[in-house]
Amino acid sequence: MKGNERKRTFMLITIPVLILFFAFNTLPLIKGFIYSFTNFKGYGSYEWVGLRNYIDLFQDARVGKSYLFTFKFAIVATIIVNVISLILALGLNSKIRAKSALRGIYFIPNVLGGLVVGYIFSFIFTYILPTIGENLGIGFLKSSMLASTKSAWFAIVIVAAWQAIAMNTIIYISGLQTVPEDVYEAGAIDGATGWSKFKNLTFPLIIPFFTINMVLCMKNFLMVFDQIMSLTKGGPAQSTESISYLIYRNGMDGGQFGFQSANAVLFFVVIVAISVFQLTFMNKKEEQL
Amino acid sequence: MKKKLILAGTVLMGAGLALAGCGDSSKTSDGKTKIEMVQYKPEAVKAFEKMEEKFNETHDDIELTIESPNEAMTILKTRFIKEDQPDIIGIGGDVNYSNFLDSDMLMDISDFDGLKDIKQSYLDIDKNLEFIPEDGTYAVPYVANAAGILYNKEMFEENGWEIPTTWDEFIELLDTIQASGQLPLYFGFKDTWTCLAPWNAMACDLSPADVCQQVNKGTTTFSEEYRELADKIIQLLPYAQNDPYAFSYNDACTAFARGESAMYCIGSYAVPQILSVNPDMQIDSFVFPANDNADKQVLNSGVDLQFSVMKDCKNKEAAYEVLQFMLEDENIQIYLDEQNAVPCKEGDFELPSMLDGVKEYIENDKMTDYQDHHYPSEMAVDAMIQTYLMDGNADSFLAKFDKDWIRYNRDLIRKVQKYEEEHGEGGNES
Amino acid sequence: MKKNSQMPGKTNWPVTILLILGCITIFFPLYMAVIIAFKKPSEMTNDIAGALSLPSSWSFSNFTEAMKVTDFWNSLGNSLLITIVTVVLAILIHSIAGYAIGRNMANSKFYKFSYLYIVSGMFVPFAILMMPLVKQTSQMGIGNRVGVIVLYVVFYMPMNLLLYSGYLKNIPMALEEAAKVDGASTWKTYWSIVFPIMKPMHATVAVLTALGTWNDVMTPLVMMSGTGKNTLPLAQLNFQTQFGTNYNLAFASYLLALIPIVIFYLVCQKQILNGVVNGAVK
Repeated sequence: MKGNERKRTFMLITIPVLILFFAFNTLPLIKGFIYSFTNFKGYGSYEWVGLRNYIDLFQDARVGKSYLFTFKFAIVATIIVNVISLILALGLNSKIRAKSALRGIYFIPNVLGGLVVGYIFSFIFTYILPTIGENLGIGFLKSSMLASTKSAWFAIVIVAAWQAIAMNTIIYISGLQTVPEDVYEAGAIDGATGWSKFKNLTFPLIIPFFTINMVLCMKNFLMVFDQIMSLTKGGPAQSTESISYLIYRNGMDGGQFGFQSANAVLFFVVIVAISVFQLTFMNKKEEQL
Repeated sequence: MKKKLILAGTVLMGAGLALAGCGDSSKTSDGKTKIEMVQYKPEAVKAFEKMEEKFNETHDDIELTIESPNEAMTILKTRFIKEDQPDIIGIGGDVNYSNFLDSDMLMDISDFDGLKDIKQSYLDIDKNLEFIPEDGTYAVPYVANAAGILYNKEMFEENGWEIPTTWDEFIELLDTIQASGQLPLYFGFKDTWTCLAPWNAMACDLSPADVCQQVNKGTTTFSEEYRELADKIIQLLPYAQNDPYAFSYNDACTAFARGESAMYCIGSYAVPQILSVNPDMQIDSFVFPANDNADKQVLNSGVDLQFSVMKDCKNKEAAYEVLQFMLEDENIQIYLDEQNAVPCKEGDFELPSMLDGVKEYIENDKMTDYQDHHYPSEMAVDAMIQTYLMDGNADSFLAKFDKDWIRYNRDLIRKVQKYEEEHGEGGNES
Repeated sequence: MKKNSQMPGKTNWPVTILLILGCITIFFPLYMAVIIAFKKPSEMTNDIAGALSLPSSWSFSNFTEAMKVTDFWNSLGNSLLITIVTVVLAILIHSIAGYAIGRNMANSKFYKFSYLYIVSGMFVPFAILMMPLVKQTSQMGIGNRVGVIVLYVVFYMPMNLLLYSGYLKNIPMALEEAAKVDGASTWKTYWSIVFPIMKPMHATVAVLTALGTWNDVMTPLVMMSGTGKNTLPLAQLNFQTQFGTNYNLAFASYLLALIPIVIFYLVCQKQILNGVVNGAVK
């Protein structure tokens, strides 16, 4: 009797949750997939166009460019964020004064909204940095980073990293705290110091945290949107159009609902593939060590 | 724990009530017919607020709401996706209008009385925007704008500069201004759409007005028609501030208003923004002299704002009443006073003084619509022009233009060609 | 560097000083935002001293103006409403879902499948759901704040389910069994025993969900357009043109948008950091 009651309760909880999830996640996913075979503008009538959108996708220079940009951005930002976060975490985990205050300060960027942060940095890039460059005679600062196709993407990396470092640092700190003291004591007897200590003792023990950070970072950066919206709107010369931005811009606004649905399907496949790849790759690495 | 749950429940219920309270009520509340209008010019919000208030004061049976959101086209299209359409839309005479019409979303308003007073040339411009010729009329042109070159009257008078009438004279003028140590032009190319301002204005002088239709029919290519235009537009860059891609439309308006440049290549729609920075500024304009022959210059002018009734609108009479109200002379004047535009209605309106220099063209009807009104927005021609201005490679720009045009317009090209075929074979069905 | 983790009592001053200097990178943009928000347009000059200097007077006129332009209180109200309701629903729904699924997934294929099904939703980018969702929610009549909340509850379900079911592994079955012996129903046992024990995880879920929803732009952007309602970040986007080149007004508005969350962070800093760490360890 009791066992049945328990089972029934669990079912009664799980089924509505599954329905909710299906209705607002899986169903739109399927609909998006269906729209990807049409030339739907988002309004009015539409026709079936078969695989045309997918064929176009691989020939469309603008889409190609947006993938290149998004990947370049995500990879560079992931590396920069993880290197700086790790260094910061080591620093914040060492014997320092005002430890909790410093940790608190370094986390601030994470609570701020990406859009507003983007607007603030946009002003700094357009007006403050060129002013400083002009007055101090620093050549490369004289013109706005956002105005050149060569540097605009890196300006976005800077802003995205400024915010993301906060979260990753905290994750690394919690990782470092799981490293037991006696590991170091054992290492100290072997004469491990500095870099070799980090490489041989600390790092292997925080690899799970490294994995989390890499996967989360990469996933978030691949979906970059707010920073693009507030810093460049995809410019100059379409050099900073991220995939999400392009899907939003042309799908909602540009009358390419059908085509951008196909783009979104491809994007989904890419994200899953990368995440699976990262996880299996990291797992292998972990086993080796 | 229970207390917490109760608390959470109360919060939720309260929130639910608050949300339910603002659910959209249906067409009528307390017996009035609701007419909702969305217009796409946020800068004209004050004029529309005035009109809305005035309308509601004088009409007991209709309640009019006018929304003037920012990024209105995105909002409108999102609302179309949501199938939540307003009754009347106020949009520009551009490719969006063509698309909405082609998607069968607009109501035929040929039986609307007010159309009689609209100048024929503007109705023709709208007719030209139809992808394939439609029966009936689907928009009331309200006001038009003109684009060319705005200039700082004081600076011109002080220095004795003269208005150029040919391309050579224009380049000469740019050289003279630059030699005097002042900045001839200012661009706000960070906002890519501003690249289209000189492009459109020059295209009127250098390319046939129906170049897009011609390309769709397959009789010419953009590489051919836009070559001179591409070569000339890039010559303007050395006369503008460094790094024009760092500055936005707002920045450029502000710079021009502060006298940082003698001229600004933009449409008359920028004037209110400029005057908001410097209310005492003396601005006049002239037609962009892109052609080598002074007689061949044409003013770039198009329908800046027009009203269409949505097909789904359930209260046609009420919607007509709103349109009729909008077209009353004194209400048009409210708009003109705020926005310095050219009315599309026949009548004795006073043209704003900053259009003095182009008056002759308006009166003699030497005008061509904006070329970009025919470009599909997802093709992002503005960004293509920006790219070209940055890398200077005209060949690849024009080649891409032709290639992308076919890619983004193929459904349309097919439709047009099919129509032509049917039209040719079956004679005229209308 | 040599002895940073051991040897208690000895402060590593070089690292401390470096870290304090590093704070400049955090504070500089915020400092710029504050001084620009208080300046007048005429104080914006093109030299370093002018750009970096403090405003000549600390007047709040930019802020009152910005509040008027962006309809601040309504936007704030919407943001608060959406975030609070989402967090409360997330804690209630996700925790019990985590309980039902987490307790059974070891020995039932159905629950194992449900778990993987929902958690894999983490990889679905919003971009692909966006357009169909806009259509679907408005057909259901919730193309507004209600819809935004429902979507958040669904979007955060994968992560929160992962967190709750992971945490549940640490809670011994014995506790529930004791209640069962007393004749309490499973439903009652959950709310009276399990739910309170998961308190640390509730904090984590609340923090992560709240930070995500509070700062999100894209969902309200596509869901609430045309309803005339804004959230705080959305208002910044929607009023960009109204600010024109009055950067002082714009920055006052940006600061207003940042202040609520900064205050919240300062007050609950410890809980927030702990919450995040908790989530990361899982």
